[in-house]
Amino acid sequence: MGFGRYVTARVLWAGVVSLIITTITFLLLSAAPNPDVQRAATQAALQGGDPAEAVERARELRGLDEPLYVRYFDFVQGVYTLDWGWSSSRSQPVIEAVGNALYYTAQYSIPWTILTVILGPLVGVYSAANMYSWRDHAATGFAFFGYAIPNFFFGIILLLIFGVWLEVIPIVYNTDVAVFSVENAIQLAIPVFVLVTGSIGAVMRVSRNESAEFQNADFMKTAKAKGVSPLRAYAYHVMRPTLVPLSTTLVGQLLALFLGSSLLVEVVFGIPGLGRLTFEALLSQDTNLVLGTTLFFTFVAVVGNLIEDLVFTVLDPRISYDDR
Amino acid sequence: MSDGQPLLEVENLTTTFSTEDGTLTAVDGVDFSVDTGETVCIVGESGSGKTVATESITKIINTPPGKIEGTVRYKGRDLLSIPGSELRQIRGNEIAHIFQNPQEAMNHCYTVGWQITEALQIHQDVSDEEARTKAVDLMDRVGIANASSRFDDYPHEFSGGQKQRIMIAMALVGDPDLLIADEPTTALDVTVQAQILELLDDLQDEYGMGILFVTHDLGVVAQIADRIVVMYAGKVMERGNVLDIFDNPTHPYTQQLLECLPEFGGTGGGIPGTLPDPHDPPDGCRFAPRCEYAEEACRTGEQPEEVEIEPGQWVSCVHYGPGGDPSVIGGEEFGIAGDTGAADGDSEVGPADD
Repeated sequence: MGFGRYVTARVLWAGVVSLIITTITFLLLSAAPNPDVQRAATQAALQGGDPAEAVERARELRGLDEPLYVRYFDFVQGVYTLDWGWSSSRSQPVIEAVGNALYYTAQYSIPWTILTVILGPLVGVYSAANMYSWRDHAATGFAFFGYAIPNFFFGIILLLIFGVWLEVIPIVYNTDVAVFSVENAIQLAIPVFVLVTGSIGAVMRVSRNESAEFQNADFMKTAKAKGVSPLRAYAYHVMRPTLVPLSTTLVGQLLALFLGSSLLVEVVFGIPGLGRLTFEALLSQDTNLVLGTTLFFTFVAVVGNLIEDLVFTVLDPRISYDDR
Repeated sequence: MSDGQPLLEVENLTTTFSTEDGTLTAVDGVDFSVDTGETVCIVGESGSGKTVATESITKIINTPPGKIEGTVRYKGRDLLSIPGSELRQIRGNEIAHIFQNPQEAMNHCYTVGWQITEALQIHQDVSDEEARTKAVDLMDRVGIANASSRFDDYPHEFSGGQKQRIMIAMALVGDPDLLIADEPTTALDVTVQAQILELLDDLQDEYGMGILFVTHDLGVVAQIADRIVVMYAGKVMERGNVLDIFDNPTHPYTQQLLECLPEFGGTGGGIPGTLPDPHDPPDGCRFAPRCEYAEEACRTGEQPEEVEIEPGQWVSCVHYGPGGDPSVIGGEEFGIAGDTGAADGDSEVGPADD
């Protein structure tokens, strides 16, 4: 009934969802042929050995001869204790590979997310307040441009201009510079800019349209009649209700970009982050690593939706959590 | 006021909106005044410019697209020419508004307490606790039970009547001298409506406020008004003391409005025809196209000058003007004093308004 109970219930549900995802992943994985086992069989055949026996040994080695439920519990335990297996292509534990890549992904994702979350609604509300003026048209044009142009293409163009012609940014990402250094800020500026232009468009448009509705609402007239200044009226009376529908779009938008665009942007700029890790794991058929990065993205999505749900109820008091 | 100057004096107020179809004149050269402690009702059909007129006083309509001209003298100051920052100090403090739809008039994202204290803290330098105490007192005063525990509730947790009470509490934070009430009871059911009117009446005595009350309900007018202003298509048709006008409605429009009310001896019929297009108002008297006494002179030139036919009762009608003949208008068949108003009990048609 209370907010505390709702939060608890929602967090528990998120846990259940992650367990369901883990289970489905396990079932798919156990139904699919194991490339390691197949490789062992091929190798045995090539060397004149007995493929069937090699398969047997390979399965035994990987615990695949155990009953399904034992393997399931092992798998689930492994997932939740962060024992995500061994990456054959990188010769390190999967969790370590993911952790290393996350270190680089976070360096551009965090500023990108913060900028989108802050600038998007601000520009959107500003646009609505000056609707159909040249400022609005400029902001709208920018939003559509960023929305329409593919991130990787925009990245290449900017790299060409600033990296090759003007030579103000390094063309290849340098992992040796400190995280909080001017060099790092310079080399991350373009990727962050590209990602922000991609994500801010939708946020701006949604907040523009939503706040256009609220700025003409009766309560704005009340605010004005109370003597509230225009700036305060926008900051409190328009921004707040706008954030409610926006929070839904925002999380979805950011997650989609996080999964999709980060890969391409990392490839273009040579950032050894999660996107490139996933990409390379797929190319080298490293099942454990693919599984690890997929699980990571899935859990990010679960947590993102959890946060969205909680933010939603905090922002709009009319949303009841009584009967859920 | 002591010096004989009205609290609020509106002169030649004209509010236009620029729209895609050209300029829309919502209020066209309106004059009226409100004294301290008195209730003035603006009546008329929907779309006659009542709301725009009241919202032009403190300029709470959006400009642009709106454009407000004329003079609005409040305690000797012209509200239309003072800077915005000075006007904001008057809004919600000296001149307060309450609106037709309390549900929409409150922000659904904030508690009612937050919204009352917001108004308070804009105008007064008070701490959060002081503001809370004062807001709870006001909520209590307007009849919210358990005010201190309901301070933190959201608007949707209150009924329509309670919401309007909260809006009234919000309006009272600055101890206003003038309360502008724009159809505050229209969205409420009849019993709640009576309670709100009673509350406003009590508060008026307590605070000594002038009230400018917009309504299309002549029953409400009869209950609360000292003076009335009858508006039609952005123009004032007739204004004066409520008893004088109810006893002796002179303008054909006023007569027909009263005619709509069975309880005042009318037949309960509507007024045939509709309001003129505000983009292109007719020449002459605005009401002429729907007036049964309209002559050629009514359809040319401008709206007739207002004529004071009785002390304090002004009417804008060709027939009362220079060279006009008031006897053209069959006054005896109207009016509460008349004997022909025997309602036939068939009163399914309400006032001409919505």
